Amino acid sequence: MPIDDAAFAYLLARAGLTLTEAEKAELKTVCDRVAAMAERVRKPRGRMAEPALTFGFAAKDLPDEDVR
Amino acid sequence: MSAVIPTIAEAARQIAAKELSPVELTKDCLARVHALEDRLHAFVHLTEERALAEARAAEAAIMANGPSTPLHGVPIGLKDIVDTKGIPTTCQSKLLQNNLPDADATCAEKLAAAGAVLMGKLTTHEFADGGPSFDLPRPPARNPWNTDHFTAGSSSGTGAAVAAGMILCGIGTDTGGSIRGPAAYCGVAGLKPTYGLVSRAGVAPAAFSLDHIGPMAWTAEDCAIMLQALAGHDPRDPASADRPIPDYRAALGGGIKGLKVGVIHHFHETDHKVGDDTQRGISAAIETFRGLGAEIREVQLSPLGDWHACGSLISIVERAAAYEEWARTRLPDFGERMRTRLMLGAFVSGVDYLQAVRRRRELRAELRAAMAGLDVVLTAVFPNEPPKMDAVPKWDVFQQPSFMMPFNVAGYPAMSVCSGFGAKGLPLAIQLVGKPFREAIVLRIADAFEKATAFRDRRPLAA
Repeated sequence: MPIDDAAFAYLLARAGLTLTEAEKAELKTVCDRVAAMAERVRKPRGRMAEPALTFGFAAKDLPDEDVR
Repeated sequence: MSAVIPTIAEAARQIAAKELSPVELTKDCLARVHALEDRLHAFVHLTEERALAEARAAEAAIMANGPSTPLHGVPIGLKDIVDTKGIPTTCQSKLLQNNLPDADATCAEKLAAAGAVLMGKLTTHEFADGGPSFDLPRPPARNPWNTDHFTAGSSSGTGAAVAAGMILCGIGTDTGGSIRGPAAYCGVAGLKPTYGLVSRAGVAPAAFSLDHIGPMAWTAEDCAIMLQALAGHDPRDPASADRPIPDYRAALGGGIKGLKVGVIHHFHETDHKVGDDTQRGISAAIETFRGLGAEIREVQLSPLGDWHACGSLISIVERAAAYEEWARTRLPDFGERMRTRLMLGAFVSGVDYLQAVRRRRELRAELRAAMAGLDVVLTAVFPNEPPKMDAVPKWDVFQQPSFMMPFNVAGYPAMSVCSGFGAKGLPLAIQLVGKPFREAIVLRIADAFEKATAFRDRRPLAA
């Protein structure tokens, strides 16, 4: 779905980016390619699927008494 | 200027035997820099006086006590996103033209501790992204095999300088292929290690969770020597792995009989079909491995485009986050390619990013399962020989999917190895991918391949 002018302007403003008209015109031509990538990573995986970037506590994160 | 460019292994042996002077070796490399730099643009900043001083100090130490490591007295270079104390680190950006770091990056520190001679800072794409660009403070590096052609990037200067014998090895960084790409196009060896094996501390980020630091050199053996100096835990890098480091060089030379090589045929035959020359190189490499006693298996993964989309979304967002402050306040100071990459961050939502990170976990699990019982997997690095400089699309991220990005997504070690030359006489390459922290196996197989073929006997004309 092509991005409309209002949404395009809102996203740029939200990102704090000030672009020339030529840059805006060029960027508009690739927005749908970004959207296609974003659709491609969506799979039916349910709500429990974890992201790759989670973390565990290493010894240095723990209070001294727990390490001892 | 000597007609022969030694490998690190050869130079180290000769230095240890006092048959080769580090000062003469450094002068020889400097002579190549002076002869070729006008055409190759491999250096952003040449540290000639420092190199000669370090070479003299190395020579004195070696004469007194012998070499401390195989890198002692060996000329090297650092990609110009690696912080170097007191030496400009510009990231090839107008934004950092006056940047003089007050500390070395860990990788620079480790190479210095190994006795390497720093020749200077090497050309990169701006902040290790995009390229080739003609609107940056310095021109883009040129391919020594044919200067009309692209080096790939972003470790473009490292690839060009190693191939041309200006240095014997150098640091590259790899967020979606920036070690393996220039290694492939410049016909050298380049290893992206496992995520966390080599510290990222003091190296400008491209995308935090995809960034890797690694060696680029003429041979797999030289990459093993360099990795030995680079690998190891660093508390300055929160992603640094605290693991024992094997002797990488000792793992070489044992043959590969019985090792299991999986081929991801669909990546380079269907998902992104490579050209005939590249396919011939891959097929010949498979036959070489079979002839050396390896067992060849078929591997099936999710389509290459899935891996590419996952890695690209993560890369776009992490880069936009890292450089958001400058993007908001100094956007016109970036070069055109970096500027456009930064703009893309506005069009990936937080939910998009996290779906990509969830997909990343699935893809990593898939690769782990597919590699059970295998030692390495094999696919292409690029579809064809290097294109001409003016034929590189600006929006290459949206062109065909990258063969290298899957292994940044997974964090697995991956290496580019020269697999011959195409119809234009330019280098071709295969990519070998190992299991996490199994660089020794990757290097052993790459070394066996190089020794079974004659591709390391040929240097570019510009050298």
